[in-house]
Amino acid sequence: MAEVVAERRKHLPVKKDAPPRRRRRHWRAYLYLFPTLVIIGAFVYYPIVESFRLSLNRVAPFGGTEIFVGLDNYTRLLTSAEFWNNVEVSMWFMVGAVPVGIALAVAIALLLSYPVRRLAWAHRMLIFVPVVISSAVAGVLFRWLYNPVVGHINTWLEFFGIQGPQWLTSRTWALFAVTVAVVWRQLGFNVIIALAGLQQIDESYYEAAKVDGAGVWDRIRYITLPLLSPTLFFLVVVNVIISLQAFGEIDILTQGGPGQATENLVYSVFVDAFVGTRLRGFASAQAFLLALMIIAVSFIQFRGFRKRVHYQ
Amino acid sequence: MRRTRYWTGVLVAMALVASACDGGTTEATDAPTTGDQGAATTAAPGDTAAEEPGDAITIEFWHAMADDLGQVVEDLVDQYNESQDEVFVNATFQGSYDDTYNALLAAFEAGTAPNITQNFDLAAQTMFDTGRLVPAYTLMEEGEADEFLPAVREYYSDEDGMVAMAFNSSTPIVYYNVDMFEAAGLEPPPGDWDFSTFLEYCEALEASGVEFCVTFGTVGWYFEQILANSGGLYFNNNNGRTDRATEVQFNEGQGVEVFEFLTGLIADGHAPNLGNTWTDTDSVFFAEEAAMIFDSTAGARGFQDNAGFPVSTAFIPHSDSSERNGVVIGGAALWLIDSGDNEINRAAWDFMRFMASTDPQVQWHTGTGYFPVRADLQESPPAELESFWDENPNFRTAMEQLATTRTELDDGSKNYAVLGGRAGPFPEIRRILTETYSAVLDEGMSPQEALDQAAVRANQALADYNAFFEG
Repeated sequence: MAEVVAERRKHLPVKKDAPPRRRRRHWRAYLYLFPTLVIIGAFVYYPIVESFRLSLNRVAPFGGTEIFVGLDNYTRLLTSAEFWNNVEVSMWFMVGAVPVGIALAVAIALLLSYPVRRLAWAHRMLIFVPVVISSAVAGVLFRWLYNPVVGHINTWLEFFGIQGPQWLTSRTWALFAVTVAVVWRQLGFNVIIALAGLQQIDESYYEAAKVDGAGVWDRIRYITLPLLSPTLFFLVVVNVIISLQAFGEIDILTQGGPGQATENLVYSVFVDAFVGTRLRGFASAQAFLLALMIIAVSFIQFRGFRKRVHYQ
Repeated sequence: MRRTRYWTGVLVAMALVASACDGGTTEATDAPTTGDQGAATTAAPGDTAAEEPGDAITIEFWHAMADDLGQVVEDLVDQYNESQDEVFVNATFQGSYDDTYNALLAAFEAGTAPNITQNFDLAAQTMFDTGRLVPAYTLMEEGEADEFLPAVREYYSDEDGMVAMAFNSSTPIVYYNVDMFEAAGLEPPPGDWDFSTFLEYCEALEASGVEFCVTFGTVGWYFEQILANSGGLYFNNNNGRTDRATEVQFNEGQGVEVFEFLTGLIADGHAPNLGNTWTDTDSVFFAEEAAMIFDSTAGARGFQDNAGFPVSTAFIPHSDSSERNGVVIGGAALWLIDSGDNEINRAAWDFMRFMASTDPQVQWHTGTGYFPVRADLQESPPAELESFWDENPNFRTAMEQLATTRTELDDGSKNYAVLGGRAGPFPEIRRILTETYSAVLDEGMSPQEALDQAAVRANQALADYNAFFEG
């Protein structure tokens, strides 16, 4: 487009006394963009560039000293068991949280959209409340639920004669327990979005289907889900990113433990960059690999979903 | 006309954005202080601005004491500001130790460093290595260092003398449920008890129907402290105190014995596995599910007030194959950052000396539970302190545990075990050790194997850190 405009401009007569209107408009456009560009530049682009530079250095935790190490941070990461463990945890998190979270959300939205319409506002509020709760508060709540000795879950299990597991301190259960907390807090948002999607679907499709004798399940399978696919696509993209960036619950519930069983990449970046002994270069390299991972996953999603999304 | 109004709008909007931007960057780098330039002429924020600083030298003091502790700090700062008119101290709460240190690093780059900052024990070597400190010994008078408790003095010293001033010091201690001990027919634990004696108490308690003998978080601190109490070294080169530490030693001798004990308590069901926590253990202890708890002396007041049963205290145990050595003084210290101006440095030191003087130390101890750092308060405590200890006997145990710590061995040489480890990446290594509990409890490794594995990672961390000082 820009080339075409430039090409056409060549043929225009140039008046020296009056500046061309177009250019002036451009100038104004940049003026309006200026505040945004300054903010994005200072808080997004500059940190990205700086963080890449840091990832090529070993940065002293006491400040002021850096050793250029080239790609050493990256090669160390790619050959370390800890890093691959963190990648694996991130992936399990995504695989565990996204499908379950969305399936639950759609199921609840379907239930909400049919009966007891008069109480719908109360339902919606109840469902949405967890979203407004900060992850720190949610984390503390779940800590109480999960406590193996005085927690609610194990007390109730014991009531039914079941010996509850060590939710947060056994390798088998910790990741599951943290995933549940994240899914719970994210659920309200997902339900509201799914509900909005359901309400977009025209009643006439259902009426036509009913006339043709389609049952409830058929209507969901052949009308609701296909027409909901743009919403589902949106939910998948958002939930994948949220699950890959899960942090608050991990920090409060397990701090990445036991061992490194719940330490995902984001948590590892945080610990290396800002806690205890600061390894800023190492953390920056991890942040870059995490970004690459998210880009790759998003790319696969857009590729895979493009043909399966139906727009009305 | 329309145009003018329009442009005015744009300018106002830009001004708003610019000021918002400015606020943002100030907070990120300089934190919410008025900075070097502003504070001298304008009133400082918060209630420390009781009076106009006037011509006084303004000292920026960053601390990490929240809530009630922070209030005691503010009170002491106010007292100092009112007591004289040459120095005005502007105290700013910076969040956690980590937040405070992150702010400090940013402030070094921005040239807005405070004059005094608080940082925690394990960060000592990193603070030394910033190269921005004024060591306290350069400002002290002859013999002034002797006013401090030996453990306090030595912890923050280098070969030339005391570098930082210990401020909020605490050590670990065993709290126990007196009712449960009596129900099990047990005497109060002896002052000097080894692992076997500890386990005998456990058997007796559990036989009397107690669910868990003890509860503790798998934080690195208890391992470090019980190792010190057993006379074991964490790092080579005398715990990193005679030269930079190049290797850890916790996977040899005492370290293995101590780690076997701690992981064994959990593996054998004497303690619940609550993970890396400081709070869940409290719930278990308060719910009377465990008879003992390892925690910090700073929590003595809280345990006494919040438990629905009488709480008493005992020293931490040591390994069977060792004598009792004592505890490492932990907590945090005040560090004097070089402002480049001798007069300002002296003013900052004057404030630090005030904080270490008798009255503020008594207030500090009674108000927070942190140790008084002065030797004379322990040798000849004022009546006020005596009556405080009579009301809160658990603080007396805490003081005694520290006072009876052997900072010197029988031959007069330093007991490096209880002086505490020192290494640049100590916080990282502590984290590695915390993760190591899981290798034993979940993966079934032996304590020796798990510690060996941790040692490899820890030694790599040491090598990386030391590489900054090569060539």
